[in-house]
Amino acid sequence: MFDQVRPEDLAYVGKDSGRIDATEKLTGEALYVSDMTVPGMLYAAVKRSPHARARIKRIDTSKALALPGVRAVVTGAELDYRLGLYVVDKYILAKGEVRHYGEAVAAVAAETYAQARRAADAIAVEYEPLPPVLHHMEALKPDAPRVHPDLGSYDHIAAVFTPKPGTNIANHTRLRKGDTEKGFAESEWVVEREYSCPSVQHVPMETHVAIAKWARGDQVEIWTSAQSPFTVRNLFCHAFKLPHNNVRVHIPYVGGGFGGKAGIGVEPLAAVLSRAAGGRAVKFQATREEEFSLLPCRSALTYRIKTGVGADGKIRAQEMTMYWDSGAYADYAVNVTRASGYSAAGPYEIPNASIDAYTIYTNKPFGTAYRGFGHVEFHWGLERHMELVAKAIGMDPLEFRRRNALRPGSITLTGERITDHTGDVVKCMDAAAKAIGYGSLTAEEKERERKTGRRIGKGVAALHKAPAMPSFTATAVIIKMNEDGSVTVNLALTDYGQGTYTSIRQIVAERLGFPLEKVKVSFECDTDKDPYDWQTVASKGLLLSGNAAILAAEDLLKNAYEVAAQVLRANVRDLAHDGKRIYLRHNPAESVDFARIAVGYAYPNGNGIGGPIIGVGRYVAQGLSNLDKATGQGNPALDWTYGAHGIVAEVDPETGEYEVLKIASVFDVGKAINPQIVRGQSIGGMVQGLGTAVCEGYIYDEKGILLNPSFTDNKIPTAKDIPAVIESAVVETPQIDGPYGARGVGEHSMISVAAALGNAIQEATGAEIVHMPLRFEDVWRALRDKTPIDNWITKSPLGSCRSAPELRNRKKDG
Amino acid sequence: MVHEFQYRAPRSLSELLALMAEHGTSAKVLAGGTDLLPNIRMGIAKPAFVVDCKRLPDADRLVFSPAEGLRMGHGVTISAVLRDRTIREKFPLLAEAAHELASHQVRNRATVAGNVVNASPCSDMALPLLCLDAVAVLTSTSGERTVSFREFFTGPKATVMKPGEFLAEIRVPASSADRKGRYAKLKRVKGHDLGIVGVMLASSPEGLRVAVSSAAPTPVLVSGIGRGLDAEAVDALVQKAIKPIDDVRCTAEYRRYMVGAYIRRLLPEVSR
Repeated sequence: MFDQVRPEDLAYVGKDSGRIDATEKLTGEALYVSDMTVPGMLYAAVKRSPHARARIKRIDTSKALALPGVRAVVTGAELDYRLGLYVVDKYILAKGEVRHYGEAVAAVAAETYAQARRAADAIAVEYEPLPPVLHHMEALKPDAPRVHPDLGSYDHIAAVFTPKPGTNIANHTRLRKGDTEKGFAESEWVVEREYSCPSVQHVPMETHVAIAKWARGDQVEIWTSAQSPFTVRNLFCHAFKLPHNNVRVHIPYVGGGFGGKAGIGVEPLAAVLSRAAGGRAVKFQATREEEFSLLPCRSALTYRIKTGVGADGKIRAQEMTMYWDSGAYADYAVNVTRASGYSAAGPYEIPNASIDAYTIYTNKPFGTAYRGFGHVEFHWGLERHMELVAKAIGMDPLEFRRRNALRPGSITLTGERITDHTGDVVKCMDAAAKAIGYGSLTAEEKERERKTGRRIGKGVAALHKAPAMPSFTATAVIIKMNEDGSVTVNLALTDYGQGTYTSIRQIVAERLGFPLEKVKVSFECDTDKDPYDWQTVASKGLLLSGNAAILAAEDLLKNAYEVAAQVLRANVRDLAHDGKRIYLRHNPAESVDFARIAVGYAYPNGNGIGGPIIGVGRYVAQGLSNLDKATGQGNPALDWTYGAHGIVAEVDPETGEYEVLKIASVFDVGKAINPQIVRGQSIGGMVQGLGTAVCEGYIYDEKGILLNPSFTDNKIPTAKDIPAVIESAVVETPQIDGPYGARGVGEHSMISVAAALGNAIQEATGAEIVHMPLRFEDVWRALRDKTPIDNWITKSPLGSCRSAPELRNRKKDG
Repeated sequence: MVHEFQYRAPRSLSELLALMAEHGTSAKVLAGGTDLLPNIRMGIAKPAFVVDCKRLPDADRLVFSPAEGLRMGHGVTISAVLRDRTIREKFPLLAEAAHELASHQVRNRATVAGNVVNASPCSDMALPLLCLDAVAVLTSTSGERTVSFREFFTGPKATVMKPGEFLAEIRVPASSADRKGRYAKLKRVKGHDLGIVGVMLASSPEGLRVAVSSAAPTPVLVSGIGRGLDAEAVDALVQKAIKPIDDVRCTAEYRRYMVGAYIRRLLPEVSR
């Protein structure tokens, strides 16, 4: 879709334009599902498991049913529907066994939320606690409890995923390239290390919420805070075996998703309650605490990397083993494993490589998509590893990266050849390094060190990511002309904060040649009225929907020209247009306004021709293939977005306290359709990345109870934590099949932030950290060569100010 | 958790004390609500009666006189402390601790009295009150008593207050005015966070004082530290008085280390 248009000939693409949703959001007028009520609506609440693993012996709902206002109570026993994107392994409410702390076992719908909450609390559940398996490495042991003893009988997408029945392995992704044995034999140095990061929470501002109405004739209508209306509908219809045209999904404004709302979430729960309540609409909104353990999180990862390097500093061989903690259900974690598997070496050429990536069930809240789809987690390991290998062989880490970077002609892990148009990671690294003054301290920085006694370090880390999606992922855009010649754009890619709609508007205005004001991209998606889009995930939206928008604009013009050609009694080839009218190229005075043909042209005598003018654009990912299950070879990547982060950190060498003085990011976005939006994504991602780098992480006790299920002890960055200096820049190597050359950048902005921080801290002080996050104490321990604290499953749970109310009761029990 | 309770907002102290006497431990005082309401929501507190003290006359009283010192009504918010010029000039330690407490929104609601009655080991306001020899005025239907904050805290979330007693006022003696000091608080994020460990150093007529939070079951005060002791010696005294634990926020080992680190950092500033 890339036409070589000179930047000076572009009216809107490549230029800043204000976000189309700014006013509604700033004034509070934008409506979210959280704000909505539907006539006759009931409120839902769930009863959740206090155990990580237990057999459900009995559920007594009689007390709950007798309470005022209660209209429906449902338990897992009566719901024989399983959900799953890739491995169909999850009931709507736990059935027979609970598999993680906080899992829903029963639910209530009542006239008010308070009545529902009270009734849910009144449900009595008798459990037989079973020993849980908590750490994903423990879960691999032959005698570990099986989270899913029936794994062998579950439906799954066999072309792509490989569950191992009789184990806790939900998927094994395997890749082999070249001959690693030979590669290691040729190596001058071999470095092997292990890296890890804990589970974290997405923390969207709007918690998961859905309203569902299961009306007569199994007609289901859903309003939900979700990323992907058609995936909600598709998975819902599969679970309940309903025809797709029975189910309608609306998505209005969404208060953040970050992957946590990518698939299906709380919609089925609201729907079964509505059905049980005789068809009254039911709203379920998760509390903040429920976000942490009822809803999914980001998987923990243990990543082992063994690298062989030749005397020339070029990597000869690399063995990569990933252990992904899926939690209790496979959800997106199996696909995180797959996508991370084929990207596992980062933007570097590895001639001889082997990858084994495992998705491992444990008795913890389950992992799902999270901005970066595994790439934040494994780039932490990989980009720390590149730093440590460089240090081990005595080479500057940036130079080591440059020397091994993918360049035109390089062959990726899956056998794809990099071209001149793939993007340029070396340019990104160099620009990020330059932005932070990599390699030395300025006079000012030296003076600052002298004054404060703190040490300043600078680190760079690179990254790459391609969209993780089905090989035939498709989308469509419809542009409808209004009576006055303006247009309204419909698409089911959602804009839950990224700003994609603003960019799509610019693309449509550019291709139509219309003033921006004449183009509206409609918020609120509706599966009954909008054209199909697979999901709003994977940083694929701008590329696929942008292309579909260009095609739709061209289709609309073609249709308008056909009518105008009749009106003007001219050949279509002789027509041209501006933002207002279609005219004869050879006689511009002869013209017809778009407004006059928009919904049908009327001759002076009243005869009509044409009809409402609509443009349709369809686009599907092309040339992608499923990967060979034994070797991982194939073509999985629609496009690769490369990038790099640079961080300047100031560290107290005594205490481990540190501050990020500056963070800079550079991405090869192909073409920045709207540089402001790129910068917005960039800053948001960097701050989110810093959160997971600095302090975030789920901590469990040895029974699998989440000890930090709220903001009290699961901290995320605040406005005060935003670094004083943030820089964002782009490299523009056009993507030949991207709209105006653009490729996605939504996730990339957070991918290597943690690694860059780790590298900067090491540069400042020598602290060698291999486990995320980098809490002050972690730095302090590394500085003193003390054993790292691995408190993600802790023996000493009781805090001075406890944030988990369950603990209080447990302490009483002794 | 849905918990129903009766809400009362008495207009006079006697009315409030009568309610407290009548309902004993089943009554909880509501001031800013920044601890009580989350605790009710989480099912940690289940009071049958919630007695709102904000409508009492003098709730927000914040006055200083050379004779009586500083008198803070039970409804004085953390933000009010920060806004008060007398406090900033004469009792800067109160302002310094107040500034580190939570976020703007919470400071606008939370009260100094509530912060100490809650008796968290990580209380920010306990440290300046300990360093400034402040006292709590506890009233009940059976009378009034004053308790020094040095005796006030008895354990995590526990104080000397008896059922039916109400912390009506906090008094800081005029003789504590102009005490200089510094406060350092270890947090996980720069924004709103509880103290992982907090250390306040303050001058006093009888020598240096060190108050420490989040390092023992209660806030700790070490007083009468001889002038001229170096940081290592001061740290040694303080280490004997604290008893930190491992928890989800930090290990006891790092807490001990950071108490010493903050003493080393703040001591030169305080002894200047």
